[in-house]
Amino acid sequence: MVEYWNKIIWPMLEGAQMTVLLFFIAIIVSIPLGFLLTLAVKSSFKPLSWLAQSYITIMRGTPLLLQLLLICFGLPMLPIIGEYLVFDRFVAACIGFVLNYAAYFAEIFRGGLLAIDKGQYEAAQVLGLSKWQTTTRVILPQMFRVALPAVSNESITLIKDTALLYAVAVPELLHFAQTAVNRDFTIVPYFIAGVIYLIMTLILTMFFKWLERRYKFE
Amino acid sequence: MSLIQVSNLKKSFGTNEVLKQISFSLEKNEVVAIIGPSGSGKSTLLRSLINLEQINGGSIQIDNDYLVHDGVYVKPNDIKKVTGKMGMVFQHFNLFPHLTVKQNLEMAPKLLNHQPAIEIETHAKDLLDKVGLTEKADAYPSNLSGGQKQRVAIARALMLNPDILLFDEPTSALDPELTGEVLKVMKDLAEESMTMIVVTHEMGFAREVADRVVFMDGGEIIESGIPKDFFSNPQAERTKMFLQRNYK
Repeated sequence: MVEYWNKIIWPMLEGAQMTVLLFFIAIIVSIPLGFLLTLAVKSSFKPLSWLAQSYITIMRGTPLLLQLLLICFGLPMLPIIGEYLVFDRFVAACIGFVLNYAAYFAEIFRGGLLAIDKGQYEAAQVLGLSKWQTTTRVILPQMFRVALPAVSNESITLIKDTALLYAVAVPELLHFAQTAVNRDFTIVPYFIAGVIYLIMTLILTMFFKWLERRYKFE
Repeated sequence: MSLIQVSNLKKSFGTNEVLKQISFSLEKNEVVAIIGPSGSGKSTLLRSLINLEQINGGSIQIDNDYLVHDGVYVKPNDIKKVTGKMGMVFQHFNLFPHLTVKQNLEMAPKLLNHQPAIEIETHAKDLLDKVGLTEKADAYPSNLSGGQKQRVAIARALMLNPDILLFDEPTSALDPELTGEVLKVMKDLAEESMTMIVVTHEMGFAREVADRVVFMDGGEIIESGIPKDFFSNPQAERTKMFLQRNYK
């Protein structure tokens, strides 16, 4: 029993590493990118705003799995430029996740900005703050606070979405679970995988709860 | 020369003309109360002075410097310099909710970097003491009552040592029992010869504290005068009607 346990748990934990790695790369890149998209949407330069809105509509309106398949298998099939678009599977997956999640974060931050009263801008103006100071010292801290619960929610979804790597054959947690299930004809690996996902999302939930308490402003 | 000089100020929102050829002036150390029915343009007038509203014509001069000259605004840097002579207190306080009371006071002066930090902190302490909120220095605005928030907002406006303080209905968002503490602070400021323009519905305050009362209706100044005459012997028909309804 212990021997079997050892045989399946280590590959699965190794797969979980891949999951965690993808999670961090996606979060760290897509949050700033999402914020830039929010600024682009709000830009008074109409073509930029229109472009950003179209981007968000497309990325949110089509399945992430489709986007992943397109980047991994579709792009290399393009004539002429296709041969330059062959990425390592994991890199391709990272690109897909970042592009997709940036669109969601952009909408979350836009909602956060909408929640800020116009009086905050006026107070900053009459106190002589510059546009940059107003944005960084007054608006952004409040926007992030308002957006925090939604960001938390989105991050948990991201952890679970990493299972989509299975479809593009990157060896992550679910991949090793499925391999063990097929090989040993037992469903135990599914449950182990479930528990590992659960532990990851619980840690994340606790982290965001802590952040929310820390920035309660009371 | 007057501290504030407004001439022929015009302002429209679309086709709606909210200020029609307003002219008035304010002397140093003077306290002026602007009263009038809702929609009379009194808040818009106040907000125009500190560039929260763009006017469509006329001139605004603050301490001999133009903010707008015949409908043309001065350069952005000069706008900042001119409006920097004024502080503003809003109806809804507009405190920064993510900063403590002390941080609310200190942020702008620290960012503008005119004084050493230690002086700013001493100044903040003194002003909190003045508005009676020393013990709330580390509280967040969400834990203050409306009256306390407005007193913090007044202290915050004073941090930049303005020559003129503008009040936009400072007690209108407060429960009646909390207006007193705010009016008391404003009265103290008036006694220290602070130059103030107060848009208000508080007839008692206008009568007691103001040096001059200005009555606006329909985007025009209908009448102005010292409180004693204004309240006991209003001249214009519209003023009489307004006072009958709002002041006994």
